[in-house]
Amino acid sequence: MSFKSAVITFPGSNCDRDALCYLQDLTKGVVYNIWHEETSLPQVDLVILPGGFSFGDYLRSGAMASKSKIINDVIKHANDDRYLLGICNGFQILTEIGLLKGALIQNKNLKFLGKNCFIKKKFKNNFNLSIKEDQVLQIPVAHNEGNFYCDNETLKSLKNNEQIAFEYCKGEFSNCEENINGSIEAIAGITNKKKNILGMMPHPERAYSDFHPSQDGRLIIESLIT
Amino acid sequence: MNEDLILQHGLTLDEFKIIKNNLNRDLTMEELGIFSAMWNEHCCYKTSKKWLKKLPTENEIVIQGPGENAGIIDIQDNDGIAFKIESHNHPSYIEPFNGSATGVGGILRDIFTMGARPIATLDSIRFGLIESEKTKYLLNGVVHGIGHYGNCIGIPNIGGECEFESTYGFNNLVNAMAVGHVQKDKIFYSKPKSIGGLIVYIGSKTGKDGIHGASMASDVFSEDDEDDKRPSVQVGDPFMEKLLMEGCLELMSLGLIESMQDMGAAGITSSSVEMASKGNVGVLINLDKVPLRQPLSAYEILLSESQERMLAVIDEKNNLKVKEILQKWQIDYEVIGEITNNKRVVFESNNKKVVDLPVDIIVDDAPEYDREFYMPRKRKSKDFDFSNIELEDIINTLLSNLNYLDKSWVFNQYDSTVMGDTVKEPGLSSGIVKIHGTQKVIGATTDCNPLYIRINPYEGMKYTVAESYRNLIACNINPLAITNNLNFASPLDPNIMGELVLSIDGLKTAAVKFNTPIVSGNVSLYNQTNEIPIKPTPVIGMVGLNQDLKKINSNKFCNIGNKILVLGKQLEKNLSPYLLQDQNLASNINEYNDLEELDLDYEKKVADCVLKMSDFKYIMSCNDISRGGVFLSLLKMQYNDMGFKVNIPDPIDLFCEYSAGYVIEIMNEDLNNVTSFLSKNGVGYFEIGEIIRENIEINSKKFDYFDIINNYYNNFENIIN
Repeated sequence: MSFKSAVITFPGSNCDRDALCYLQDLTKGVVYNIWHEETSLPQVDLVILPGGFSFGDYLRSGAMASKSKIINDVIKHANDDRYLLGICNGFQILTEIGLLKGALIQNKNLKFLGKNCFIKKKFKNNFNLSIKEDQVLQIPVAHNEGNFYCDNETLKSLKNNEQIAFEYCKGEFSNCEENINGSIEAIAGITNKKKNILGMMPHPERAYSDFHPSQDGRLIIESLIT
Repeated sequence: MNEDLILQHGLTLDEFKIIKNNLNRDLTMEELGIFSAMWNEHCCYKTSKKWLKKLPTENEIVIQGPGENAGIIDIQDNDGIAFKIESHNHPSYIEPFNGSATGVGGILRDIFTMGARPIATLDSIRFGLIESEKTKYLLNGVVHGIGHYGNCIGIPNIGGECEFESTYGFNNLVNAMAVGHVQKDKIFYSKPKSIGGLIVYIGSKTGKDGIHGASMASDVFSEDDEDDKRPSVQVGDPFMEKLLMEGCLELMSLGLIESMQDMGAAGITSSSVEMASKGNVGVLINLDKVPLRQPLSAYEILLSESQERMLAVIDEKNNLKVKEILQKWQIDYEVIGEITNNKRVVFESNNKKVVDLPVDIIVDDAPEYDREFYMPRKRKSKDFDFSNIELEDIINTLLSNLNYLDKSWVFNQYDSTVMGDTVKEPGLSSGIVKIHGTQKVIGATTDCNPLYIRINPYEGMKYTVAESYRNLIACNINPLAITNNLNFASPLDPNIMGELVLSIDGLKTAAVKFNTPIVSGNVSLYNQTNEIPIKPTPVIGMVGLNQDLKKINSNKFCNIGNKILVLGKQLEKNLSPYLLQDQNLASNINEYNDLEELDLDYEKKVADCVLKMSDFKYIMSCNDISRGGVFLSLLKMQYNDMGFKVNIPDPIDLFCEYSAGYVIEIMNEDLNNVTSFLSKNGVGYFEIGEIIRENIEINSKKFDYFDIINNYYNNFENIIN
C-alpha cells in the first residue's frame, strides 16, 4: 500500500513547496497540498505543517495559524494515531495548538540563525527508527524563534516519557556551537506522549537531494515508511 | 510659482522654465510633484543617460535589456532568467532596518512583476570603519533588515560582499540584487496592450510613508538631515509582499493580466507614467479610488512610496476572476482607471483634473546633461619599502581586518537554503542555485573594487568585471550577463564625473570582451555626506549558467596529498593596491602606482582553460584570487582537517593581487596532463604546493594552523562586538 501524505499551506508558509518535493521524492506516493481554509483533510498517513512565517508571525510565531480552519481536522488526524510532523514554523504551530508541550522563544543571540547544524537522536520513536544511536545528522536550521523552552515539570515529563526526539550536538570539524539557539537541554525536536506527532526546528526537507550538502533528512521519511 | 517651492522639489529653475515653456501654462502643485519625482536622477538618469547609452545591452541570449523592471536572458529550453540590482543607500543610512528591508522588497517586486519567480537574492553592502559605534548600529540594522525581508518571504540569499572603508562612514551603501526564473512564453512587460484596458491597483493601502523618497535618493546629505528625512523612508511588510507575489504569479500563470508595473520609487506617479510612455498611450486615473491607510491629499497619494503595491492592466472581462484570486490571498484590489488613446497622463480627484500632462513632456523632454568631467592625473611611479614587513605581520593584519575575514556573522542571519535548490551558499566564490525541476544551475556574484577604480577608473572597472567573471569561472559557471549599480558621489564635481564616465567605459570594454551584456541596472549619485565623497563604487552583479549541476567545481579542498597550482599573472607588489593599503604602505590615494593594464584576452584565455579542465574533471577544487592574494584564496579553500604547504621565492608575493588568477587543486596523476595543457595554451602557472593535514607551512616554516583557522572564522564576530 502506498504511503499518502499532505502538506498544509498557510498564507506566509514558504517551505510548503520544499516539503511537497521532499515527500514526493522520498515516499513515491500521493502528496496533497491543502490550503489552510479547507475544512477537511484527505485520509493520509502523514501531514506536514511546513516552515515559513505563517500570517507574518503576527501576534506570535504560529499563533494565528493554530486557529486556521484546517486545524480541527489536523487534530482529528493526529488523534487517529496517524503521523503529524511540524517543521520550524510547523513546530511553533504545534506548540500553539497545544499538541506539543513547551514554546519556541527567540534564539539566545537574538538573531536569525541560518546555517547547517548537527543533531542526534535522544529517545527512539517512529520518526527516527532508521537513525543509529550517536549518529550525527547534518541538517540546516533557519529560524529566529527556535529556542525551545518549558518549565521544569514539563521537562521532567518529556524525559520520563521519552518524548525528546532530537538534540543539537557538535559536528566534526565544525566550529558551530553545540547548542546553537540556547534551547533547554539542547532540544531540537520533541514528540507527544503517543509519539505520532513530531515537532522539530531543523529542516530535513532541505537535506535529501544528491546536490544538498547532506542527505541526512531522508532518514526521517525512511523511518516512517519502512 | 514660488522659487523656493521649485527648489524644494529638487528641480532647478532652468528645468522649471523648460516645463513651463512646453506646457504654456502654470503647473498645479500635483504636477510639480510629478516633475519632481520624474525628473530626478533616480528616475530619469539625467546625468548618466548619455554614458549609459554606450553600454552593450544585446546579444543572442538577451530577451530583455535595460528599460523594463528587470533584464531577462535566455538559458535555453523554455527557461529565462530575470535579474537586477538596485540601491537603497540613503534610506538605509537614515533607518537601516527598514531602509535595507524595503530595498530587498523593491528588487523582488521588479523580478516577479515580469512573471518570474524569485529564486535568489544577493547583496553588496559597504560601511565606514568599525571603530565607530555608528557603523556597528548601521551594520546590525542593515543585515537584520535584509535578512528579515528575504527570510520571511522565503527567497534564499546566496551571496554578496561586505566591505568596510572610511569614506562610507556617513554614507553606507546597500545594493540588493534578485534573480528570478521565468518561462519564456510567460514573460510580462509594463507596456499595456489595448486601449480601454482597466488599470487596477493591487496590494497594500497607500499611506504617507516615503513621500519624496526618490528625490531624497538624488540629493546630497548632511548629517543633520537624518532626523528630518526619516519620514521619507518606507516601511516594509514582507508578509504582504509574499501574498502579493503569490497572488500576482497566480494571476500571470492564468493569463489574467495584460501588463504589470511595480509601484516603486515615486509610486503611482512613475508606474503610471512609465506604462503610458512604453505603450505610447494615455492613462486616466481616479485618485479617489486608491485604497488609503489614512486620509491623504491628491498630492500625497501621487508621491507616496508605500511598499508592496502593483499597478496592472487587465481586460474588463477578467475583472471578477482577478478579484476572486486576490481575495483568496487577502490582497486589496481596486479598479482605479483606464488606458486611453490620448497620450496624456490624467489624474482626477474630487471630480477635478489635478494633473493633465502630455506623456512626452514628462518623459521625452526630461533633461539630459552632459556634465563637465576631468580625466585622472598621470601617476608617478613609486617603489614602496617592504623591508620591514614580516610574513607573520602580514598574516596578522589580514586576520584582524574585517574585509578579509569569513563573514558568516552576516550571512548566517540570512536564510540561504529555503526553496531547497541552493547548491552553493554564501561565503564561496559565487552563490549557485538549481533551476527547480531541471539539472541547470545559475551562479551569481556581486563585486566591486573601489580602490582600484579611484586609482584608475577605466582599468579599475575592468578588474571589477574580471573579478565577477573569475568568481563564476572558478565554479565552472559560464558567465552570461551583467546588472550594474553605479554608486558615485556628486557628479557636479568634474573629478567624480570623470570616474563615472571612465568606469562606464571600462565596463563596456570588459563586457564586450566577455560577451556579457548589461541587461539591467541602477544609478545612485550624490553619495556624499559632510562633503566626504564615497569611493567610486560601480557594483557588478554577474549571472552565469552550467547546464549540468554535476559539473560544478568545489571551492573547498578535497583531498590531502593533492597538488596546488596557481594560474594567471601576479601583479607585482608595488602594483597591488590592496596590499599597499592594508599594510599601511600607501598613506594617501596619490601615492599609488597606476594600475597595470588588464589584458582581457589573457583573462579570457585562462578562463576558457579553467572551464575545459573542469569539464575534463582535472580540477578537484578551484578558487579565484583577489584581495589578499594566493594566501587568502588558500585559506578560503581550507576544509575539515585540511591545510596547505607552499613554497615561493618571495613570500610577500603570496599576498599580491592578480589578473586571471586562480588556485586549482589537482590530483598528482593529472599533474603532467594539466601542466602540458596549460603550457600548450600559453597560460602561466606555478606549482606552489600541496594539501596537507592540519598544518599551514610557508617555505618550510610552520604556522599555528588552529590559530589561523579560528581567527579567520571567528574574528569578524569578535571585532564587531
